[in-house]
Amino acid sequence: MSPGSSASDEHPPAGLRAGTATERHGTPAASDEAHAQGRAHFQAQLQQLEANALGGLDLIVEQLDRVLEALQHQDVELAQMVIADDDRVDGRYLEVHQGILSLLALQAPVAGDLRLVAALLHMIKHIERMGDQCVNIAKLIPLSGYEPPVHREMLDALAKMGAFARSEVVQSKAAFAARDVGLAEDLVRQDREINRLNREIFRLAIEIGDDPDTREWAMHMTLVARALERIGDNAVDIGEQVAFVVTGLFREFPAPRPPVPRAPQPPGTQAS
Amino acid sequence: MSPQRASADRLARFAVSPARQRKDRLARVGVLTGTAIALVPLVLIVYYLLRKGLGAWSTSFFTTDPTGNTFFGSSSIGGIKSAILGTVEIVALASAIAVPIGIGVAVWLVEYGKNSWFANTVRFFVDVLTGVPSIVFGLFVYIVLVVGTGSTYAGYKGSIALSLLMLPVVIRSAEVILLLVPAALRESALALGAPRWRVIFSIVLPTALPGMVTGVLLAVARAAGETAPLLFTAAATLKTNFNLGGFMNSLPVQIYKDVTSPTTAVVNRAWGAALTLVVMILLLNLIARLIARRSRLA
Amino acid sequence: MTTGALADRAPAGGEASLQAKPGLSVRLEQLRAFYGSAEQVKGVDLEFRANEVTAIIGPSGCGKSTMVRCINRMHEEIPGARAEGRVLLEDLDVYDPSVDVVAVRRAVGMVFQKPNPFPTMSIFDNVAAGPRLSSRRGDIRAKVEAALRGAGLWDEVADRLDEPGAGLSGGQQQRLCIARSLAVDPEVILMDEPCSALDPIATLKIEELIEELKRRVTIVIVTHNMQQAARVADRTAFMLDGRLVEIGPTQEIFTKPSDSRTEEYVTGKFG
Repeated sequence: MSPGSSASDEHPPAGLRAGTATERHGTPAASDEAHAQGRAHFQAQLQQLEANALGGLDLIVEQLDRVLEALQHQDVELAQMVIADDDRVDGRYLEVHQGILSLLALQAPVAGDLRLVAALLHMIKHIERMGDQCVNIAKLIPLSGYEPPVHREMLDALAKMGAFARSEVVQSKAAFAARDVGLAEDLVRQDREINRLNREIFRLAIEIGDDPDTREWAMHMTLVARALERIGDNAVDIGEQVAFVVTGLFREFPAPRPPVPRAPQPPGTQAS
Repeated sequence: MSPQRASADRLARFAVSPARQRKDRLARVGVLTGTAIALVPLVLIVYYLLRKGLGAWSTSFFTTDPTGNTFFGSSSIGGIKSAILGTVEIVALASAIAVPIGIGVAVWLVEYGKNSWFANTVRFFVDVLTGVPSIVFGLFVYIVLVVGTGSTYAGYKGSIALSLLMLPVVIRSAEVILLLVPAALRESALALGAPRWRVIFSIVLPTALPGMVTGVLLAVARAAGETAPLLFTAAATLKTNFNLGGFMNSLPVQIYKDVTSPTTAVVNRAWGAALTLVVMILLLNLIARLIARRSRLA
Repeated sequence: MTTGALADRAPAGGEASLQAKPGLSVRLEQLRAFYGSAEQVKGVDLEFRANEVTAIIGPSGCGKSTMVRCINRMHEEIPGARAEGRVLLEDLDVYDPSVDVVAVRRAVGMVFQKPNPFPTMSIFDNVAAGPRLSSRRGDIRAKVEAALRGAGLWDEVADRLDEPGAGLSGGQQQRLCIARSLAVDPEVILMDEPCSALDPIATLKIEELIEELKRRVTIVIVTHNMQQAARVADRTAFMLDGRLVEIGPTQEIFTKPSDSRTEEYVTGKFG
């Protein structure tokens, strides 16, 4: 069951602003099917809902690409666009949320369908969080001024982190669409790398020198790194939902630890 | 298609067709005519009965026995008291025989026999019996109980003949009513842990009772009017006789005897007796109807 | 084991109380049911635990009603129908030749799909019918009141016990039928789609009643309505084509069933 291509999630809901209560206007297809009754349409509705949710991940990839580019070139205008476009992510969240409520109320899904619906509810929340993290990054860019003192090594590390985060988001989407638990568990490996890079950037920031402007910029970059790390965590969480849908059990993937043989630790907090 | 054209088409589709109206009227007239034709003899019968029979009615008509004087003045021919009482007695005994047996057979057919080949054979014969001419029952009893035993006519032998006549009717109507008792009723009673006979007596029969009473009364009404079986069995006598072991008069037989008499008064008495019989049967039918209205089944 | 054992379990007349009371467990061993030569139930092994509500779901014609009717031996009332195998009330085989069918039906009550109070009887007589028909008398008044209380109907009809039973609303009639079965003090109650002819509020009342009743009896409920099974049953069994596919705690059946056929049925892909 492969979700629609990015074409299906490109149309921003006309006139839908984040925070509006009336969600009766979704995408045209969704609103038609919301009125269609009967079990025959139920499966179609469910598939459409999943496609919408997974499409949200495409939106995130887009946002991430743009914010990473803005970061590399200190492009304040691009950053502004990213901030403005978070409305689309929020809109997608509301749309899927409303669709799930409607499905629960009208169709009373059970068993596998119920697990899928629960997973979609979690997933869309993580997607919204990832969108917010992209906005957080975008907001940090103009704070450094138009010509901040940049530290090449740090920017490279950030670029690498960004690449890993992007690949995690793409992989989480693929894992969910294919219900591939192995692929989902593999996300942990990539997340490990992100965490390593996060610590690296932190170390670089400490050793960056005495120049107050540079130090200020470095502080902001550590916040950027933290936001990227959060995006990675959310992607792992989506992977855990894949496992839930398939097995019916909810368990957290083992927290990424530096590869040091050690007694098992309790999983680290996955708070976002 | 223009909207005017569309609505014109719709009107045309819904309009009444004159050809169909004509056919409708024709059929209606035809059926009414048939009904009228069928009603004519009915109305005539009632009219004649009333015109000829009411005149014969009087107090002495109901309180004196026929005297057998048929050639002389009307004051001495007597009434039909013995006939009325005889009919009542004979039919009562016949009912007492036919009704319990008939209901019993119906209960067996519906509750136990169901669709077995034996039950279906019984049903077949019951159906055959409903069509047997009444005189055959009379003849049967005559052969077996009068000639066969060498004894004489008696009221009770007439009752037996009539009960044979009533039996298939009672069985049939009781069976129909019992079949109307919903199976769910029996099921829920059985599921409560009641033995089958208890279910029948405490649940099925009380529910079917009003309908069965109707059927029984109709059978009684029919038996009351039968002449032929009584001719060879109960014979006729003039005196009121309460002993069913002896000859007994009855209304149909009395009418039969009187109608061919040359004396006008006697013939009038026959009409009076016929009216009496019809009124008795009418009353029975009315009672049956009143009870049926209280029935929860049919 | 003879019917004496069943009789011993019943309390003396009038003591049908509202307190919790151990029900009986019912175990089906290789149960097969036939209509003539057609096999409708094809070898079912199943246990209904004491004082629990077990729901049986499945598509039309899968044999669930037939199977349940074998438990109180109503199946054999249909001409040409017969059953094989064992149905054990605790340790007593209901199909043992020495067992009296009538006694079985007193211990295992049944509530049908369409409420069917006896039409010629008043409310009181309807409930009293059970004890009267089985001639296990005792204090009939007390039994009737206890049964009506147990069915949650006493408050509504206490002042009109002499009115005809058929004059009640659909939901009340069904509760009357439940009271009627309760009056003979059964240990198991079988319910064959008891709410399918009722409106949602009446259905809700009966579901609440089932929740209370299970403290005193074992309940088996056949239902087409999966949401009802989900609301009411402790365990749910899924039948298909005369066979038991799966049985388990209701929550598992509706969140993660083990058998793919169960999954397909509950998610509405067929049936």
